[in-house]
Amino acid sequence: MKTYFAGIDIGSTTIKIVLVDADEQQVGDLITPSGSHFRRNTTTAFQALLDRHGIKRQEVEGVVATGYGRKLFREADDVVSEISANAVGARKLGEPHDSVRTIINIGGQDLKVIALDENGNVINFVMNDKCAAGTGRFLEMTARNLEMEVDELGFCHALATGAPLTINSTCTVFAESEIISLLAHGHGKAEVVAGIHYSIARRVGRLAKRLGIHGAVFFDGGPALNSGLVEALEDELMQPLLVPEAPQITTAFGAALLAMDFCRAAGE
Amino acid sequence: MENERFARLGKSTMRHLAMEARETLQRLADFPDNPAAMSLFYQFFSALFTGNHSLPEAKPIIGVMCAQAPLELIHAAGATPLRLCSGAYAYEQAGAEFMPAKSCPLVKATVGMLHVNRALWGDALKSVVIPTTCDQKKKSVDFLTDMGFPVYALEMPPAKESDVARFYWQESVKQFALDLGGITGRKITRQSMRAGIGKVQQGSWLFRKLHELRRTDPPLLLGKDAMLVTNGWFLMEHDSWCAAVTQLIAELEQRRKNAMPAGKRLAPRLLLTGSPPVFPNLKVPLLVEQAGAVIVTDEVCSSSRLLYDAVSYDEGTLDEMVGAVADRSLKPCTCPCLTANRDRLRKIMELTEKFAVDGVVYHALAGCLPYEMEQRQVGKALSAAGIPMLYLETDYSPEDLGQLSTRIEAFIESIKARKRRK
Repeated sequence: MKTYFAGIDIGSTTIKIVLVDADEQQVGDLITPSGSHFRRNTTTAFQALLDRHGIKRQEVEGVVATGYGRKLFREADDVVSEISANAVGARKLGEPHDSVRTIINIGGQDLKVIALDENGNVINFVMNDKCAAGTGRFLEMTARNLEMEVDELGFCHALATGAPLTINSTCTVFAESEIISLLAHGHGKAEVVAGIHYSIARRVGRLAKRLGIHGAVFFDGGPALNSGLVEALEDELMQPLLVPEAPQITTAFGAALLAMDFCRAAGE
Repeated sequence: MENERFARLGKSTMRHLAMEARETLQRLADFPDNPAAMSLFYQFFSALFTGNHSLPEAKPIIGVMCAQAPLELIHAAGATPLRLCSGAYAYEQAGAEFMPAKSCPLVKATVGMLHVNRALWGDALKSVVIPTTCDQKKKSVDFLTDMGFPVYALEMPPAKESDVARFYWQESVKQFALDLGGITGRKITRQSMRAGIGKVQQGSWLFRKLHELRRTDPPLLLGKDAMLVTNGWFLMEHDSWCAAVTQLIAELEQRRKNAMPAGKRLAPRLLLTGSPPVFPNLKVPLLVEQAGAVIVTDEVCSSSRLLYDAVSYDEGTLDEMVGAVADRSLKPCTCPCLTANRDRLRKIMELTEKFAVDGVVYHALAGCLPYEMEQRQVGKALSAAGIPMLYLETDYSPEDLGQLSTRIEAFIESIKARKRRK
């Protein structure tokens, strides 16, 4: 019988599940909206992923839950904070390129910077404490204000010809009125979008400077799919970023690797 | 109109106070194998905060707004001391109208508590003693005087190492001893002074026993309970506090024999430093221990700093004893309101060693600038010693519980990973 391990990252916006085999290879993944019934949606999604790959539940030896809703999924064998899971996933994915020492993660409702030591252990981290300013949720709201989809933001950013416009606030509510007034003054959407990306990048830059940036910088979380934001962040941090192919699932991948670790440690 | 508004404020504040106290007590009790003697404390806090917030029976009462006010003198003047520093979010909301939005929640809550209860407490509180420590406490002298409270500003120097500072504080405390006689109508005598020192020393002696029981590996008492015990010291009637702690110590001694520790064998051992957690604001200690670590010791003025230090005198003249009490409260003080505060670093490093601490949680109440400012130097000293520190800036609002718990869990996981590697 083959054995598998699952990492389930229950975020505020989406649930991400990754299955790995005993060789730490990703077998499959699934991303689905969290909705309002975290636990039920997680159970359904997990089963759907298993069915898709023809894997039986008994073949999954360990399940680790992480993310904002980690404690709600009681079927998990263990829970781990998204900071530890993110560190493990990013480190592994970054291996072929360079050793990752700094992670920037932008999620649905938070924003964090994690510092790792040379062995990949978390040594320090900072995150926004109270509100969702400058996070994935903020990008969704601004896309809605501009009457476009969130995945069009990157493309739109590239169309900007003039200098990005100044958006002073990364608070969703205040930024909305700034955006409306900029549009009303006849500014183009592309410059507004670029402005939004630079305002988030500045905020992340401030947070990152509190920790100090070392080594290769890994950028993940859903907003890392946005090429405009990646460009703004690279400019702001004055260095290139490592962005994985599927930036949404690195934390779930890390949780799956931890599930394997925990099972092996328990077996010893 | 004004009266009606005030009555409504009182009613809604007391309702919210009862709600938050109940929730905190629920969370305190929601751990496996709490010592049976802890229920004495749970019951005390429940009765105090879910009914009318009434004052102790034994009168007269002298309220104090800081750990710097020497309780020995208050006992010697035949009064009951009562620490007024409040940890209640409901009171903080009531105090918000007197203070700037970004000011210290503890001072705001204390001012709010006195405002809401002024009709109920007005006559019983013979004095509100405010040592002139941090700026926000100093400024509350005027607000509280305007509210009609008999405020006593106990002048404290901004430093502790110079001769002039020691002299200044000794003179302040001596004057306080004289004035207290006038306030309570019972002059402090040599005999009553000795008895007052004895009372506090009895508390300190019990506290030190508890302190030692937390040093064992694994520790015998969780930090959330230790905090509640020391919080009880400044609210409970002296004899009932001593009786409850004696019972708790006996039970923990028994648990030591039966090998029944609090917390898991490999649970990270943490030190808590920074702004004081006061019931019901046990937010940080509770989150830390719910995440599986144990707070084995602390450097906060609502707990260890309150009771550790002893008064020492030789001949026992009144003047010498009052001076000794003054020294006891100034020399070991490590409050960041002091200009130079290297002694705090020394104390933290000493505690980390003595208690075999794996990490430090630095709790700053948002709005308490002195604690916020000392964060860097403490972090630097700890990092040089290879001890990780988590800095948390938070207030009394429950809004950030989710974010805080993620940060705390990640910190504890990284300590566990570090311990595994060793």
